Amino acid sequence: MSSLYGFLWLVGFLLLGEALVWLLHLPVSPGVVGMLALTLWLMMRGRVSQEIQSASQPLIAILAMLIMPGVVGVFFIVEAFAGQWLIVGVALVLGTLLSVATTLWLMLRFMPKAGSDE
Amino acid sequence: MNEGLAGLQSVLLETPMLAIFLTLAAYLTGARLFLRLGKPSWCPAVLIAAMLLAATLALTGIDYDDYRAGAGWLMLLLGPATVALAVPLYQQLPRIRELWLPVLCTLPPAAMLAALYSVGLAWLLGATPEVLASLAPKSVTAPIAMGITEQLGGVIPLMMGGLLITGVMATAFVGLLSRWLGIRDERVLGFVLGVNGHVIGTVRAFEYGTTAGAFASLGMSLTGIFSALFLPLAWRLVGL
Repeated sequence: MSSLYGFLWLVGFLLLGEALVWLLHLPVSPGVVGMLALTLWLMMRGRVSQEIQSASQPLIAILAMLIMPGVVGVFFIVEAFAGQWLIVGVALVLGTLLSVATTLWLMLRFMPKAGSDE
Repeated sequence: MNEGLAGLQSVLLETPMLAIFLTLAAYLTGARLFLRLGKPSWCPAVLIAAMLLAATLALTGIDYDDYRAGAGWLMLLLGPATVALAVPLYQQLPRIRELWLPVLCTLPPAAMLAALYSVGLAWLLGATPEVLASLAPKSVTAPIAMGITEQLGGVIPLMMGGLLITGVMATAFVGLLSRWLGIRDERVLGFVLGVNGHVIGTVRAFEYGTTAGAFASLGMSLTGIFSALFLPLAWRLVGL
């Protein structure tokens, strides 16, 4: 029952996100707006209730499964993007190498020296 | 015989249950095989599961669109799951306050560049606008990336494939570069994994340690939020 109550909260914040996106013509997905609204709400409350916790944890744990129907689609669009695959591959592999290197460099530059907690 | 089978298939496809069954079965089998293979970082559980599912659909002759229509019932949960990400984000807040300066200085350029390098490269190589819009959210966690790519006019299956490759590559490159440069700081490694490799990088970070894992979730959520705000605006400005 407790997680069902938490689920009600999550869906409520999702609907709030939908409403805000529509009212303010935001170029962001309703889920993200709902997430930000819930984060603000939790900050104001100062704690996460047991109900919200018990609904969020299992949902986050099955995220990988929820995206699978989308992931599988990639095997069925091979022909539709026939001329683009080499470009996509190069852009992803090289782009990721560059961005990992840049993030490492930036982080090391701004980080205080590793604390004694390690 | 074949006619009978086809009839049975269309009966079973009348409700979303067959699609849901196949998705669950492939996901759980994928997770098992992943453990059996010794958790290879170049082949995450989702990839194994997706290949199993694709093979099943191809072998049984189920049309992807029919499958997708049924599995849409599962994907409905992505909305509340995205909202649920507020909980770990809220729990990371003390860490953000502790290290707000490096996080604030690193995150915006890192998240922008994660998208720009690949989109730029693809643009130089002559990719179509549809492909560019599908590559842009490549470092963003899937539930947020789906919203972004829909807004930019990308193709969700292509974006998902890009997401998968990016996660796997980011994990491999972080391992390679950190060994090469002798970087051991779990906070740095975790954050870099989360910013570039979303969920797949975060799973890897938890193998380095809990500190790395916490920083990876932080990097992943912040990249998701930042990109959800930045990419649609950037797209509008460039006029794509």
